[in-house]
Amino acid sequence: MDLATLRDVTFTYAYAEMPALEGVTLQLQRGQLYGVVGINGSGKSTLCSLLRGLIPHFHQGTLEGTVEILGKDLGEWDAAELSRTIGCVFDNPFTQISGIKDTVFEEIAFGLENLGVSRSDMLDRVTSVSEQMGITALLRKNPNELSGGQRQKVAFASIIAMDSEVLVIDEPTSQLDPQSSHAVFEIIADLKARGKSIVLVEHKIDLMAQFADRLVVMRSGEVVAEGPTAQVLASPAMDAADVPRPEVTDLAFALEAVGKGLGCVPVTRREAEAAIATRMRGTQIHADRVA
Amino acid sequence: MSALSPEAASAPSGGTFDGVVSHGNWIRDMHPLNVAVVLASISLLALATPRPVGLVSGCVAFLGIAVAAGVGGSFARLYAKLVVGVGLVLFVLRAAFVHGNHVLFELGPLAPTWEGVREGTTFALVVMALCGALTLYFVLVPMKTFMLALELKGMPPQATYILLASFQAITDLGRSARTVMDAQKSRGIETEGNLWVRARAFVPILAPVFITALNQTEERAIALDARAFNSGIPHTHVLQLRPAPAWERAATALTAAACLATIGAGLLWT
Repeated sequence: MDLATLRDVTFTYAYAEMPALEGVTLQLQRGQLYGVVGINGSGKSTLCSLLRGLIPHFHQGTLEGTVEILGKDLGEWDAAELSRTIGCVFDNPFTQISGIKDTVFEEIAFGLENLGVSRSDMLDRVTSVSEQMGITALLRKNPNELSGGQRQKVAFASIIAMDSEVLVIDEPTSQLDPQSSHAVFEIIADLKARGKSIVLVEHKIDLMAQFADRLVVMRSGEVVAEGPTAQVLASPAMDAADVPRPEVTDLAFALEAVGKGLGCVPVTRREAEAAIATRMRGTQIHADRVA
Repeated sequence: MSALSPEAASAPSGGTFDGVVSHGNWIRDMHPLNVAVVLASISLLALATPRPVGLVSGCVAFLGIAVAAGVGGSFARLYAKLVVGVGLVLFVLRAAFVHGNHVLFELGPLAPTWEGVREGTTFALVVMALCGALTLYFVLVPMKTFMLALELKGMPPQATYILLASFQAITDLGRSARTVMDAQKSRGIETEGNLWVRARAFVPILAPVFITALNQTEERAIALDARAFNSGIPHTHVLQLRPAPAWERAATALTAAACLATIGAGLLWT
C-alpha cells in the first residue's frame, strides 16, 4: 500500500482566483523520506495540507481529482483518525503552541494526553524526545515565552513524541541556526530509519540532498519533477523551478563547463570530497609519472 | 476526591518527574473543588448574616485565609485595587444618587443622603465579598489545576480548553498590543505622555491586534488538530491532583454544613 496516491489533483482555495495545486499526479511510497522543494508560492504547503487531510477537512475550496492516503480515499478518512495517523509540523512555530500549558514538559505531553497515553509512558516519551531534541534545559520554561527557534524545536518535539506512522513536516528549520537544523535533519533521518514515512518541505537544499530519498520539485502549483534525490538535483527541472542546487553540484557543473568535469555529479559535500580526492590522486600520479 | 499538586506534574527533575509535590501549605494543597466549596460557603454566610457586619466579616475572613495560606501580600494588593477601583466607585455612585430623607450635604446637583450612604456601603460590601471569594480562589488555585479538577469530574476537554485559552488570550493580546505600540514608537509616533496621548496612540492599534488574533484562531485550531485534540480517545493527564486526605474532606463538609446550618437557622429565626 502506498503512502499517498494523487491523480490529476487540482485545488483552489475558497475566494482564490488561481489554483494552488494544478494537475498534480504523484505516487508516494511508504518508509521513504520525500523532500519537497520549490520557491515561495509553488504549492508546497498546500500539498502538505492535502497529504495531512487539512484539505478538505479544514481549508475550504474546490478539490478535483483523486487523493488516496494509505490506500483510502481522502474523503473517507475521519478527521480524528487522520490526526492519530499523520503527524504534522507547520512552518509557523508561533501558532503551534497550544497556549494553555505552563511548561514545555506539559506542552510536549499535550498530544500524548489527547491520545490517551498512560502517564508513565508519557513521562518516558517526553523525557526521551526532549533529550533527543536537546531541549531538556527548556522543560520548565513557559512555552509562550520562548523564542521562535525554541518554539520550533518544542513544536517538532511535540509531534515526534506522538509517534505517528506518517509525518508531514513543513519547514521545520526555518527559524533554526545551521547546527540545530542539522540536528533536526539527523532526527528526521532517525525517524525514517525507524520505518516512518516522511514528507518534508524545506528550503535548505544541501541538507535535502544529504537526507532525502526522493525529491518532489514544485512550481506554480505543479509537480515538475519527482525521483531519486541525486537524479532530480542534477536534472534541468531544478532550473525550470528556479530552485538552487547544492553548491557542490553547481561546482561540478561549472567544472564540467570548462572541460574539467569530476566524472560524476556530486550532490553532497561527502560525494564532492570523494570526487575531488580521486581527481587529486589522479593528478598526483600523473605528476609523478611526468617527474 | 483527590487534591492538587499543581506544580508537581509539571516539574521534571533530571529528566523525570518528581511525583506529587506540595506547596508546603495545607490550604494551598487542598483540592480545587474543596477550596471552591469552602469559599462559596463563607460568601453565602456573609451574604445571609445581618449587614454590614456579616459582609465585613466575610471580607476579613478572606484576608485571614489568604494570610494563613501564605499569599496574604499578593491577595491584599489585588483586593485593595478592587476595593478602590470597584467598591469605592459603586459606593460613591449609590451614595450620590439614591434618594432619601436625610440629606448629608449639597454639592451642586448632588445631594448625598444617609440612606444612600447606607445602601452604597451595603451594595459595595456585597460586591466586595463576592469579588473577594473569586479573587482569593484564583490566588490560591492555579487556573489549570481548577480546570483539571473539573475535567476529572466530567467537564468536556473542549470546554476547559476554551476557558484556559481565553485567559491566555488576554496575555497574548496584551503582548501583541505592546509589540505594535513599540513598532509605532520606533516610527516616531508619540505613545507616551498623558492619558490623552496614550489613548490616542492606543485606539488605532486595536484593529490590527484583534484582526491578528482572529487570523491566528484558524491556525491554532489546526495546531490542536495536529495534536489529536479531537482524537475521540478519552484524554489522560500529565498533571496529577494530590489525593485529598480524609480530614480535608471532612473539614470541607463540616465548613459547608456549618455555614448552611447557620444560614438555615437565621432564615427560620426570622
